Amino acid sequence: MGKVALQMVEQAGIDVKELLDKLVCAASAEFTTYYYYTILRANAIGLEGEGLKEIIEDARLEDRNHFEALVPRIYELGGELPRDIRDFANLAACPDAYLPDRHHNNSDATPRVGFTSGGSDESQTAVLEAKQAVEQGDIRPLLQVLVEAERCAIRVYSDICNMAFGKDHRTYELSLAILNEEIEHEAWFSEFLGEGPSGHFRRGAPGESPYTSRFLVVPHNHS
Amino acid sequence: MCYVTVATVDDIPPGTTKLVQVEGLPILIVNDRGQFYALQGLCGHQKLSLAKAMVWQGIIDCPWHHFQYDIRTGENVYPRCVYPLEALPHLHQQLERLRTYPVRIVEQHVQVKIEHEPLSNK
Ligand code: FES
Repeated sequence: MGKVALQMVEQAGIDVKELLDKLVCAASAEFTTYYYYTILRANAIGLEGEGLKEIIEDARLEDRNHFEALVPRIYELGGELPRDIRDFANLAACPDAYLPDRHHNNSDATPRVGFTSGGSDESQTAVLEAKQAVEQGDIRPLLQVLVEAERCAIRVYSDICNMAFGKDHRTYELSLAILNEEIEHEAWFSEFLGEGPSGHFRRGAPGESPYTSRFLVVPHNHS
Repeated sequence: MCYVTVATVDDIPPGTTKLVQVEGLPILIVNDRGQFYALQGLCGHQKLSLAKAMVWQGIIDCPWHHFQYDIRTGENVYPRCVYPLEALPHLHQQLERLRTYPVRIVEQHVQVKIEHEPLSNK
């Protein structure tokens, strides 16, 4: 904990306990999202799915970076993470990003998106089913989970920025950096849903975190 | 059944919410673009208070974990739309509808209809 750093924040009129609650909930949301995006990524397969997988991977790694960047600030302000990971997960500031049900109207359909490949009869049937699933819009439920998760994150960091603005400069800058990336994540997924036109460009490296990396103890491109 | 005054119109400007207590019952009053609504004041997710909930275009957003509800019906609109309820039916419990209450404005007072006479009027 930084004594004077904390004093400055308190004197600026911030309710530090409330801010810490928000930061811990935000850190939990990042940590749980990282977990759930790992599952979503694994289930984004085939032609369309593989394209989506790349974006999920960037968002997934950047969400992990957000967790890493938030934790030092929590301890600096005198807070801490819950000892029990179950308690921590229950605090998450956003709903869990569960893998969607199998196709809404067809419980036999694959929950995966995109096309599979392979030569056996079984895999050819899988290709056919997956193609039909994509044609029926099976990719949309997964994208909907992703885009809603990002929208929730935007609300969370807008709220923290509003609270810290002009008072807790370090938390504000950190939250703003994360907010910048969450806004980009939302745009990636909503553009995939066809809410375009698209103005985004790929990250130079997976999980690059162009805004948040300067807050990381070990940036992704450390050598 | 009777209407109970819970606030004045000026207490709750458009785009804001206010948590009030009616005989110990928490009720969230919402002013969405000049229209008033009243909903159960505890979120269906973890039964935490909806005080400081945000409203925007017919939807309130719980400040704790950002579940969202339709202010007219109290229905959960998020995360219901993305939860895999077939695969994980226990999640249904988290998606409970918020109870709604009739509201009226009488001479700049916001009044909510509750199901029984308030104790203070007895
Ligand atoms: S208590 Fe409202 S979203 Fe969790």
